[in-house]
Amino acid sequence: MGRITLNDIRKRFGTTEVIHGVDLEVGEGELVVFVGPSGCGKSTLLRLIAGLDQPTSGTIEIDGRDVTRVSAADRGLAMVFQSYALYPHMTVQQNLSFGLQNTKMARDEVGRRVSEAARMLEIEPLLERRPTQLSGGQRQRVAIGRAIVREPAAFLLDEPLSNLDAELRVTMRAELAQLHDRLTTTMIYVTHDQVEAMTLADRIVVLRHGRIEQVATPLDLFNRPANLFVAGFIGAPNMNLFTATAQDGQAALPGGLAVPVPRNGPCTIGIRPQHLHPAEADASALEGRVTLVEALGTETVVHFRTADGTDVITVMAGQPGIRLGDTIRLAPDPGQIHLFDADGDRMDNNV
Amino acid sequence: MRRVVSFLARRRGHGGRWHWTDAVTWLWLVGGTVLMFGPALWLVASSFKGPAQLAEFPPTLLPYEQIVVQVEGHDAPLPLYEVAGPHGTTRQLAEIRRIGTNAQMVDPTDPDTRLNVDIAARTPIREIGLALDNYVQPLVANDFLRFLWNSVFVTVMATLITLLTNSMAAFALSKYRFRGRDAVMLLIVATLMVPLSVILVPLYSVVNATGLLDSLWGVILPTVATPTGVFLLRQYMLTIPDELLEAARMDHASEWQIYWRIVLPLAAPALAVLAIFSVVWRWNDFLWPLIVLSRRETYTLQVGLNTYAGELNVQWHYILAMTVVTMIPVVLVFVFLQRFITTGIAGAGIK
Amino acid sequence: MAALPAKLGVVVTAPLVLLARAVDPPLRWWQRMAGQGGMAAVFLLPNLAIFGVFVLFPLALNFVYSTTAGTDILLQGRSFVGGAQYARLLECRDYLDPLTCREDTFWTAAANTLVFVVLQVTMMVVVSTITALILNREIRARGFFRAVFFFPVLLSPVVVGLIWRWILQRQGLLNLVMVSLGLEPEVWLNDRTYAFAATIGVSVWAHMGFYTLILLAGLQAIPKDLYEAAEMDGTRPARVFWRITLPLLGPNLAVVLVLALIRGVQIFDEVYVLTGGGPGTSTLYLTQYIYEVGFASVLRNPGLAAAASILMGLVLVVLTLCQLWLSRRGEAKGAK
Repeated sequence: MGRITLNDIRKRFGTTEVIHGVDLEVGEGELVVFVGPSGCGKSTLLRLIAGLDQPTSGTIEIDGRDVTRVSAADRGLAMVFQSYALYPHMTVQQNLSFGLQNTKMARDEVGRRVSEAARMLEIEPLLERRPTQLSGGQRQRVAIGRAIVREPAAFLLDEPLSNLDAELRVTMRAELAQLHDRLTTTMIYVTHDQVEAMTLADRIVVLRHGRIEQVATPLDLFNRPANLFVAGFIGAPNMNLFTATAQDGQAALPGGLAVPVPRNGPCTIGIRPQHLHPAEADASALEGRVTLVEALGTETVVHFRTADGTDVITVMAGQPGIRLGDTIRLAPDPGQIHLFDADGDRMDNNV
Repeated sequence: MRRVVSFLARRRGHGGRWHWTDAVTWLWLVGGTVLMFGPALWLVASSFKGPAQLAEFPPTLLPYEQIVVQVEGHDAPLPLYEVAGPHGTTRQLAEIRRIGTNAQMVDPTDPDTRLNVDIAARTPIREIGLALDNYVQPLVANDFLRFLWNSVFVTVMATLITLLTNSMAAFALSKYRFRGRDAVMLLIVATLMVPLSVILVPLYSVVNATGLLDSLWGVILPTVATPTGVFLLRQYMLTIPDELLEAARMDHASEWQIYWRIVLPLAAPALAVLAIFSVVWRWNDFLWPLIVLSRRETYTLQVGLNTYAGELNVQWHYILAMTVVTMIPVVLVFVFLQRFITTGIAGAGIK
Repeated sequence: MAALPAKLGVVVTAPLVLLARAVDPPLRWWQRMAGQGGMAAVFLLPNLAIFGVFVLFPLALNFVYSTTAGTDILLQGRSFVGGAQYARLLECRDYLDPLTCREDTFWTAAANTLVFVVLQVTMMVVVSTITALILNREIRARGFFRAVFFFPVLLSPVVVGLIWRWILQRQGLLNLVMVSLGLEPEVWLNDRTYAFAATIGVSVWAHMGFYTLILLAGLQAIPKDLYEAAEMDGTRPARVFWRITLPLLGPNLAVVLVLALIRGVQIFDEVYVLTGGGPGTSTLYLTQYIYEVGFASVLRNPGLAAAASILMGLVLVVLTLCQLWLSRRGEAKGAK
């Protein structure tokens, strides 16, 4: 239960197409996260799956059944809205049971499901309260509860944590992960926060401008970004990108460090800040003057500028005692260099 | 035409499926448009008809005028008729006078022969024409120009004073802490409960005692201290940050300057809304002017219209034209400022 | 295009600007002498003075008038009679039949007003709710249609009265419609029932746009998410209306109800122009009674008018307190 297939989904609002042909397969029990910058179409895609909007073309299947023209209510999905969308004039109990009563479900079955969800989410003492009398975290639980009682084929979550403060967000994130483990129901989760995406997802779908850039597990995404956009989007601080021109199977970084490249011509070399380490004294290296030191205690982020004016960021463990104006010499870890061709796509025979 | 229809019939959102509620919607909207605009348009069309045509039944939609011709031997131009002859022929004759059921008529091309015609055998020849006299006469010969001026004077003066006094009070009530502020607020709230119709008799005696009876100021002053105006402006001024006032005080501005140079310009949107409301209110005022003004020279348009419409022999052709004149400023407000008013009502619930 | 109004604005406001400059020096002096509290008094003074003279003082004076008798409007020429005017207003042999009352026109007016208010407010709330619901749908040209229904609100009551008097007269538009439908024409305003119905219809026509706007604002304040959540839950449209839209529109509906009641009780202008209270006393409402007794009739009786207006005022005070309570509650809800 809960296999969702999208075939060449397109969506146009007026004359502007916002989703340009998306194909995706979400497996049973999988937690898939849609991630991307704002305006990338991730929420639109979720609403198309939910049935709140109709795709202009393409088909949506749930467990092999074509539901493209089926109404939202009859798709057997449940959604958690960004604003929670709790009915303000109903108590928590009424909010949880409203959707079930719509289906003319037996009264004691409604009661059983509501109390089970309340127990699971630890909101039993709140059942008689109204949404305005709840804290942000409590509202969040109620919103999830309202989805759980429907026992849906899949959960759709639209930036569910974005209205919480930073601390609560971390707690709720962990609880959501546990919840998914316990329910083993398919979940599609939309967020713009890459940390949420990395920590929660079985697979991440990176979207940009209404197109899928890459679908992969979190670590695959980090280790083998398919293109420059994914490389820049995933990982903090952002990956260092150097443009270069490869000749005779080699391209040079600032400071003369040579990197083997499978194809000649213009290319981009990417190195994550975490993958730069002090170079040996006589080897060629990235050399520059330190322009900013951000000491975070457990690690230190160092910004430096090379002789030809390229800004580079590196992350060092602990407190290395580097100061503003110091000169540092760094070299990338072998095997941790990413190469992209002129179109920004990954060149695949890794060094 | 077909494109217009399909444009109007097309629904946004879910596909092209029609639901019975769509039919109700369009019936309601189209019917509403006819019902809301129709009466006013009928008034305008009627106001261009001459007295004879106004007395006709069934009425025509458009205004027509009787064609008249100058006939030799007659000083005044004579009305032209089409007369049916004995053998299905028709000829155009001018009427000299009516005697019972017969009309004495003359052929304009043969002025010396007089003919007797049954009035049932003739129909007036008319063309579309505007009886502009309906407008010119009351304004020139009657007192309507005077009424118009009185209405303009009352509206402009009352609005200026309303804006000034209400904004001053609102400034004090929003930006100063002083003893008795809550009492003053309460007092103003309380006056919401005292509409003019409740204090007609004593107010009349107060106006009488202050010598304002039969004067336009007697109409203006009792209406300017509107609690609604003070509320609206105070609500808006509360959103102006106090730091701005404090900065001005550091710059040696006097309190009056702070009010005049800083708070008033910043409250311009709210002032504009109040100004529009005040203009409409004062232009439309009827009961109070009806009581205060008893000399014809002091009548406002509304009172003047009512007086002329209340006469034994109502001269509808003048009344209709002057009603249109009375409507013009409000229609202008409607066309150009309708948006301000609707947002004002939606925002503050005032009228 | 924009230059002319701007120039006109400068011309109109120039005297005001000069005035504002002129009052600054004396006010500066006063500010030094009296401090900020003194300035607050200056700013409040004009408004409160006008309030005092033209609202509060007359309000108190109203009670005095209601205890005096005579035709003289000046208080010196009047004699104190205590509660006699109230007694006269309220004296009835059978309270269910206005004609058995001493002041039978007052009771007729009160009864007319009661029936008018009940019917008019019901119709007003129903019509404006339906219109608001329709305008809240995803329709084209919503701004235009919103303006359409709002248009009559701006018209003056006198204009409204005259427009409809013209349509309802013997040779009017309505009779044209009747005849073209093959029905008998009527002299609408000469018939007691038709005239009464006309006052209700015309006042609904003139004011429904205002209430529609309040309700529309209320509808648009309901988050779209709630409807989408209900859609996900498979809620039927009727159930969405009764369980979500109506409860959430409740505060706005209550405000509309009370405002319409307050205005309905005071109805005068358009009815006075439309029917003049007639035929007979069939459309005579309270404010017209007060106006005629206080000012217009030959045997005018300001004391009686004052007493009647105080009775009407009591009703309005109760209704206004309801409104304030409701809007407070609405605000408190919104604040949370």
